[in-house]
Amino acid sequence: MHETGVAMEIYRASLQAAEAHGPGRLERVRVAVGELSAVDPELLAYAWEAVVAGTPDEGCPLEVEWHRARQSCAACGQDKERAEGSWLPVCPDCGQFLTVEGGRELDLLQVSYLPDEPGGAHV
Amino acid sequence: MCDDPSHSHVHAHGPFRNLGHEHGPLQVQVERRVLESNDVEAQHLREDFAEDGTLVVNLISSPGSGKTTLLEATVAELKGTLSVGVIEGDVATERDADRIRALGVPAFQVVTGGACHLDARQVNKALRKGKFPDLDVLFIENVGNLVCPTSYDLGEDFKAALLSVTEGDDKPFKYPGIFSAAQVTLITKTDLMPHVSFDLEAVKGQIKTLRPGGEVLMASAQTGTGVDAWCGLLAARLASKRARRT
Repeated sequence: MHETGVAMEIYRASLQAAEAHGPGRLERVRVAVGELSAVDPELLAYAWEAVVAGTPDEGCPLEVEWHRARQSCAACGQDKERAEGSWLPVCPDCGQFLTVEGGRELDLLQVSYLPDEPGGAHV
Repeated sequence: MCDDPSHSHVHAHGPFRNLGHEHGPLQVQVERRVLESNDVEAQHLREDFAEDGTLVVNLISSPGSGKTTLLEATVAELKGTLSVGVIEGDVATERDADRIRALGVPAFQVVTGGACHLDARQVNKALRKGKFPDLDVLFIENVGNLVCPTSYDLGEDFKAALLSVTEGDDKPFKYPGIFSAAQVTLITKTDLMPHVSFDLEAVKGQIKTLRPGGEVLMASAQTGTGVDAWCGLLAARLASKRARRT
């Protein structure tokens, strides 16, 4: 539901990463989103389209790398099936605490940036 | 993970080399958390609150669960002995801040204009514009929403989730994010318990599963029942924060 704010943050961070390389435009932005991050990838893509619309970066695609969470039980010593949307921290079989790895990612990974042609402004 | 954007690595000759451009697209590896700027701002706020010895509580719940009404009862109880202030977050109107100010307690309204949560920058701005006196306790009443506010650190000491008995006893498992993140869950509108079907033990069980060791308090702002226990918890948290400072 807060995907618009997240998309704006991604755009802001992308421009920040690109600005060191001179004028140009964003060609592609890649992010990692974990299933426990409370961000819906489809809504994020819609929000991104809206955020870059009307800017020099309009049409720049946002690529989402989706990360599942993995949980394992130290007592049973095996990976536990995790029902979609369930965040339960205890093992359904033995009641011990589960170790949850990953799934909370919300990271900007890579910005593909197309610099303006050198000297292009003087042609 | 590398959190410093200046550590970006540039590869100008990757598969995206574009002959039409002398240098082609640059692949800038960034690898930073999207909400990093919020987390950095929240950390600054947390350091300031630690220096000032101000206890900060981030109140999160669905709309209509009674955050403002509980706050009215809370500040009325505390204001004789402690300096308290409130930052209110809503999509529109100054109503909530007006209600708090009517009790003689300083309040600043953040109007988000559509955004579903408060972020650390807004809290910083509210603190600057709100001209608060030195505070013992600052309450931040987040925008009514059980999902989005969970992702945004505001520099608070703890999150308190409110769940009114009229909302139903299945909410913790349906919104596990907030009930995992909240150190304290307040069951509100308990005076309505006789009129609704609300299995308190089931709720406590869900919270125990999601947040082992989390505190569950019961309160009715209408009758005042439980408000003293909530205020006692706040006073104890404030005392332990101050004790850590010295």
